[in-house]
Amino acid sequence: MTDNKKISKSDLEGLLNEWSQEFTVFVPSQENEVVKLAKWGGKDTSFLDWYRNATTPAKANFFPPREEMFGFQKDKEGYHLELPPSDEHKQLIFGIRPCDARALAILDMTFKDAYEDPYYLSKRNGAVLIGLGCTNPYDSCFCTSLDISPVESTDVDLMFTDIGDQFLIEAITEAGKELITKASGVEEATEADEAKAKETKEASYNKLVKKIETEDIKEKLLPAFDNQDYWEGVAAKCVSCGICTFLCPTCFCFDISDELVKNQGERFRCWDSCAFPIYTKMPMENPREDKWRRVRQKVYHKYEFYPMNYSVIACTGCGRCIRQCPVNWDITRVLNSLPAKI
Amino acid sequence: MSVTDISYRRRFLASGNVYLPHIAVIEKVIDETPGERAIRTFHFNFKDEKLREEFTFESGQFALYSVFGAGEAPFCISSSPTRGDHLEFAVLQIGKVTNALHRLGVGAEIGFRGPYGNEFPLDFLQGKNLVFVAGGIGLAPLRSLVWNVMDNRDKYENIDIIYGARSPSDLCFKYDLDAWDKDKTVNMVTTVDRGDESWTGRVGFVPKVLEEVAPSANNAVAIVCGPPIMIRFTFPVLEKLGFTPEQMITTLEKRMKCGIGKCGRCNIGNLYVCRDGPVFTYAQIKNFISSEY
Amino acid sequence: MNYLPAKDRDMEQKLQDEAKSLLEQERVDYIIGFEPGSLKFTTTPLITKNKDDVDRLVITPFIVNNLSVYLTEVKGRVGIVAKGCDSRSIVSLIQDNKVVRENVVIIGIPCPGLIDLKKVERLVGKDRDELDDITRNGDRVIVTVDGKGREFPIAEVLYDNCLGCEFPTPQEYDVLIGESALLVTDFTASRQKVETLEGMSQQQRWEFWKEEFDRCIRCYACRNVCPACFCQRCFVEESEPQWVLPVPRWQDNLIFQVVRNIHVAGRCTDCGACERSCPMNIPLRNLARKTYDIVGELFHYQAGMDKEASPLLTAYEVEEAEDFFR
Repeated sequence: MTDNKKISKSDLEGLLNEWSQEFTVFVPSQENEVVKLAKWGGKDTSFLDWYRNATTPAKANFFPPREEMFGFQKDKEGYHLELPPSDEHKQLIFGIRPCDARALAILDMTFKDAYEDPYYLSKRNGAVLIGLGCTNPYDSCFCTSLDISPVESTDVDLMFTDIGDQFLIEAITEAGKELITKASGVEEATEADEAKAKETKEASYNKLVKKIETEDIKEKLLPAFDNQDYWEGVAAKCVSCGICTFLCPTCFCFDISDELVKNQGERFRCWDSCAFPIYTKMPMENPREDKWRRVRQKVYHKYEFYPMNYSVIACTGCGRCIRQCPVNWDITRVLNSLPAKI
Repeated sequence: MSVTDISYRRRFLASGNVYLPHIAVIEKVIDETPGERAIRTFHFNFKDEKLREEFTFESGQFALYSVFGAGEAPFCISSSPTRGDHLEFAVLQIGKVTNALHRLGVGAEIGFRGPYGNEFPLDFLQGKNLVFVAGGIGLAPLRSLVWNVMDNRDKYENIDIIYGARSPSDLCFKYDLDAWDKDKTVNMVTTVDRGDESWTGRVGFVPKVLEEVAPSANNAVAIVCGPPIMIRFTFPVLEKLGFTPEQMITTLEKRMKCGIGKCGRCNIGNLYVCRDGPVFTYAQIKNFISSEY
Repeated sequence: MNYLPAKDRDMEQKLQDEAKSLLEQERVDYIIGFEPGSLKFTTTPLITKNKDDVDRLVITPFIVNNLSVYLTEVKGRVGIVAKGCDSRSIVSLIQDNKVVRENVVIIGIPCPGLIDLKKVERLVGKDRDELDDITRNGDRVIVTVDGKGREFPIAEVLYDNCLGCEFPTPQEYDVLIGESALLVTDFTASRQKVETLEGMSQQQRWEFWKEEFDRCIRCYACRNVCPACFCQRCFVEESEPQWVLPVPRWQDNLIFQVVRNIHVAGRCTDCGACERSCPMNIPLRNLARKTYDIVGELFHYQAGMDKEASPLLTAYEVEEAEDFFR
């Protein structure tokens, strides 16, 4: 006997439907060859056959590309502001990868910091994350370099590991434990199941071949900050699009804008990117007009500034910025080729 | 290192939502400077009476002001917490939101969220000689502190104010300049980059005039605010005068959206101007400022 | 990995020699070409001053970027690797006075078409990084998966825009590496998606684009990889007037893309870079190709064919047809 549970893959549909009573369930879903964690349709578990990771990370479920912050309306008495209604059900995300689950823990730090971000946190608090071990990582993945295992996670409530026709289920949090004790189709796992899971995990872990040296990265970066030649060289091929930052599971920058039609309107926020010159542009000056400064900012924010503030690198090695980049700008190449102090 | 603790700051949230502005009403509009890029000061008060009574802030803090439909922009609170039954902010007309603000008159409603950011370190400044160095609309945050100091004059030693603008008509807060000029306890130095026929005062860039005035660094703190180029040239002059990086304080301006350290764009190194600033000692930012400000 | 038949590897050697000598003789300050990318089958732009770096230059069926996008950015004289479509983009930039002809040494690559990895993935049901090898052999391609090779006609794996390519060999060049490329065309396949759209009712087309643009995240990759999108300040970034919001809603996204297409009309060479860059797989080439065809029909004009010609939409002759004013 072990503490862990298991469920047959054919019973997953029933389990997800059961959870749908209480939560809005999200699962990997593919449309136009873009993979998102989208609302569970109540039937299709075929993602188990093709799912590697989502094109858009789970951050989009809590920090969507666009979001209404409030509406405003003007009448004789002046302006009236109205907050949008909040979601009725909490989210349950099935199939989040450990890299993206860690990314949410990293995002939490910013959005919880001092002034709490109500839009993010109202979705995030009480949401359930169910991790699915990553058995077929991409060649662009390098999570193990960031102390993240593709198959294990402390950032989820439940962790599923593929053991053939079944999943081994590990309860990580109390909320997870509670979810699984009352779930139907769930059985006690045997020692043989555990052994099989261990085998799968080891094999998966070893598939991660892309590596960076992160141990002293903060110290290596600091002296390179003013090395303009290096950053100009590194930045040369970047086209300053927003793909790497928008699809990054830890990037949180946003823009705020208003729309007014007659006497009413809305204030929105939407994803923004340090790759765009306009992002820092002031009427008279732009501290990051130069592309190399923007590229440097991206690297430093993740590997220097975030660690300075929160003692954690704001990168989980999910590899999206590499595999989605239209010019194959590869952050691991940059980090592995940092110059010594000039 | 870790993130600056800002939990002590008082906050006034509307409906518990940090992004939701309070409605405020403009009570007075003052034309500071003329022209295409005019500067105006707005006096305002909160529509909500309870908030009007409860609201407090410190010199140096800023807020985000909304013209609903045009958007939001950050400006420091330019009045002093020690005086007045209203709040003030000054706006240079230069972009979408500032243009919209300049179209507003008395009675118009704006959105306000704040106060945000840190404050000038009054405890640290007490008992010291203060050297204020400002250019253009950069006087706005400093005037909050100057009046704060004036209202507690005996707690501070000598006061030098060196203020400049491009031309005589670009000088802001002329009513303040006059008042400080008349005050015997203040050494008020006003300068312009280029004079005109009626200008009889000093002509010269602020950093150069600072060098000429040469205030002593002994038991002194310099408080600097102005356009980035002025700030860049002022720090070396202060260093030459013997000021240490800890004795130089500035308040910075960057593009901002959220005002609370989340939207990302206003960083200098690991610090966010909106969250960890806008008031910094030169010691805090000197590693990164040379390259990105 | 062997992407190339022997003949093309001779081309690579020639390219490297040419680039090296350009730098050594100081005829150029920079070389812009392709080097192996960090991921299987990919290439990545190489922008270098260093003659030792040019040994990394490659020619593969995966040299997908339109490198002319860098010409408005890299300062000095530049030796640039250009496929047929890229060379037309360069000519177009010259027409717009964005590039000075004398400052560019065009190293022409006769291009037999680029392999669309997504098509390969669909054919074999595996992702790019799960494939062992892709080898082109004339009009066939051999894709090796799990040690087993599968052969396909090349037309099944080339990009749609390559299938419609009229000028695979650069028309404007200083050096040509190798001989003129064989045309592998399948115009029907190339225009298939466009034709499907043409066959729709206006309402259906509206619904189609509404859905497609609903997932646009406004990363602007399509704009930023496009050499014809050279505006220093794009209209989407204007705030007074604010033409569109930066908010990714389908309406704003659609306006952005429609205006972008009109702006590049007469400059777009149907290089396909916009669609390839889209992380949301929005079929942007449908708009680009349609605009390209309209430009051809209305003005009998092809972008980037004559460096002396005035840019299409900047010149007007009185006797020009006006039937496009409606």
